[in-house]
Amino acid sequence: MIKIAHLYYDLLNLYGEQGNILALINSFKNQNIEIEVDRLTIGDNINFKDYDLIYIGSGSEDNLNIVLEDIIKYKKDFKKFIDDDKYLIATGNSYLLFGKSIDDKDGLDIFPYYAKSCDRIRCHSFVKYKDLSPIVGFQNRKYIVENKENHLFKVLSGNADNFKSEFEGFNYKNFFGTFLIGPLLIRNPHFTDLIVADLTTKNNYKYHIDINTNEYKAYNEYLKNFYQK
Amino acid sequence: MKTSLLIILNKIITGICHLFKKQASVFPASIVRKFDSDILEKINYPKYVIGVTGSSGKGSTTSMIAHILSDNGINVVWNKSGSNVVNGTTTLILNNTGIFNHKMKCDCLLLEMDESYIRETFKKNTLTHLVVTNITRDQPARNGEPEIIYKKILNSIDESVHLILNADDALVNRFSYLPNEKTCYGIDKTKYSLKMPISNNIDVAYCPFCHKKLEYSFYHYGHLGKYCCPNKDFERKIDYLVKKVNLDNSTIEIDGNNYHLNKNVFFAVYYTAAAYTLCKAIGLSDEQIAHSLNENILESKRLKTIKFDNREVEMIESKNENNLSYLQSLNYINEYDGDKTIIIGFDNVSRRYEYNDISWLYDVDFEVLDVKKIDKILCIGRFRYDVYARLISANIPEDKLVLIDDKNKIKDYLKMTKGKIFTMVCFDMTAILKKIFMEDEND
Repeated sequence: MIKIAHLYYDLLNLYGEQGNILALINSFKNQNIEIEVDRLTIGDNINFKDYDLIYIGSGSEDNLNIVLEDIIKYKKDFKKFIDDDKYLIATGNSYLLFGKSIDDKDGLDIFPYYAKSCDRIRCHSFVKYKDLSPIVGFQNRKYIVENKENHLFKVLSGNADNFKSEFEGFNYKNFFGTFLIGPLLIRNPHFTDLIVADLTTKNNYKYHIDINTNEYKAYNEYLKNFYQK
Repeated sequence: MKTSLLIILNKIITGICHLFKKQASVFPASIVRKFDSDILEKINYPKYVIGVTGSSGKGSTTSMIAHILSDNGINVVWNKSGSNVVNGTTTLILNNTGIFNHKMKCDCLLLEMDESYIRETFKKNTLTHLVVTNITRDQPARNGEPEIIYKKILNSIDESVHLILNADDALVNRFSYLPNEKTCYGIDKTKYSLKMPISNNIDVAYCPFCHKKLEYSFYHYGHLGKYCCPNKDFERKIDYLVKKVNLDNSTIEIDGNNYHLNKNVFFAVYYTAAAYTLCKAIGLSDEQIAHSLNENILESKRLKTIKFDNREVEMIESKNENNLSYLQSLNYINEYDGDKTIIIGFDNVSRRYEYNDISWLYDVDFEVLDVKKIDKILCIGRFRYDVYARLISANIPEDKLVLIDDKNKIKDYLKMTKGKIFTMVCFDMTAILKKIFMEDEND
């Protein structure tokens, strides 16, 4: 069985976050693997060792600040979780929580990047991850990120971390932090499959690839209509 | 002198636009404001200047207020056309203002106002009343998150304005903590109330003051309902509570009196309650309001009944990037008891920008759709596969869904379905479908 924690589900819930959870549920179900999702928030007891994957979504500025006050106490737990090669996927502004700072507020300081306020950035994005076909997404943020290492995506179109960078997001082991909203895991089934395949084999199940799902059809149709090489 | 000339210019351009059958709501003021962008500050306003704002329902609320006030002999000027940004409002005001005394020729100026442009329209204490219907996620690429809208409205509230607030909305209710005069409305528990929100996409869940999770007794939809802070730092205080909501009979009760709803949908309860509260705040009696709601009933805005294949067609406007607009449409379709076919889809997410964000599709609770009487759901438009994937993830059976790759085949596929046809599409597909239905009617 695979166990997922959807953290701060009632605060960081701005961009169809349940879609990312649905993408994971459906992908594991397609592999005939039992999956359990716990929705957890402020005041809940989080046993990090129980989970294979943690997902955190995007939220409003006010809600991000509420989460920031609460999440600090889990710094050691998150660090161990990431060092143990477990998956942590943070989309939208929630990935800023794991850096050094967000303007003058301290972040978890697990990673060396930091965020500074800027005028609102809105864009449609195509980005590249390793040798996968383009990743699709949308960005709506008011921060730039200063980061020199562990870039997640190479930007093909749309905004990067900051106005000088060619990269977007942060990747260390199985930590994936990105401004890309989508829902990322729904709109990019090939990316989701990488995660699902890895977790499936790690848990001693056999992985079967299926590229005929509705999400793949939607992805291919989108590339056909909007992606120019 | 300059103001008089500009008022004349506005009236002349409006007249010319009408002569050539062109839209005249925005263009005249776009010219006039080039000569004086502060012209609205030079107008003598009537006793009541009422603004109606919020993420949704402001158009219906404005129409209902206009109806009740006019029915009671109050001369109202209002933006019937729905032009609710600065130029549209300015054109309306100048066309109803005297050339020499710059005095508006009415007892009441009533304006549906885009929530982002109130301060841009009126720079000083002009509004006497402001109705706030709700603040929910709506076109985030344009408006940002709901808190941004809250802050924009907050920045446009002068101390002198009397606030009319939907206190069921915890975000709107934050305005009731301002020192302004205020009157709040809300809806009591109904047979449609929910114990839990349908999903986790609600916009407000925590106390704005102490950040404790709000405790809800019930939800109407989204984050609207009855709540309180466990520390008592924040609560819903209602002046006019709507009771005994009965959508089957289209009736409600406020302060012991029964009133008729002009549409048997839940959001009609909200716009009727908002209109009632505003009218009470400016001194109308229950009898006067009852006359307008129960006897001289405002005809609800319904599209012309269209027939296709000898079947009734109802075209419901569903606003993309607004999950609660879609939810209202889904609930409305659920209410229809007979066989039905639904058409859903879009070519473009927005007419304003090309960010192609579809995350909001996963904030629409398609899970509520009762599929028993649904024959087919036709998915159309460039994003039809995304819509299809979303409907499958909402447990809609695959055999109910039809993907239509070729728009020219919509008509043929539709003829193979049965029941009343509901379309819940956005602006671009509305035009295509209307053409198909009209062609069929003319055949």
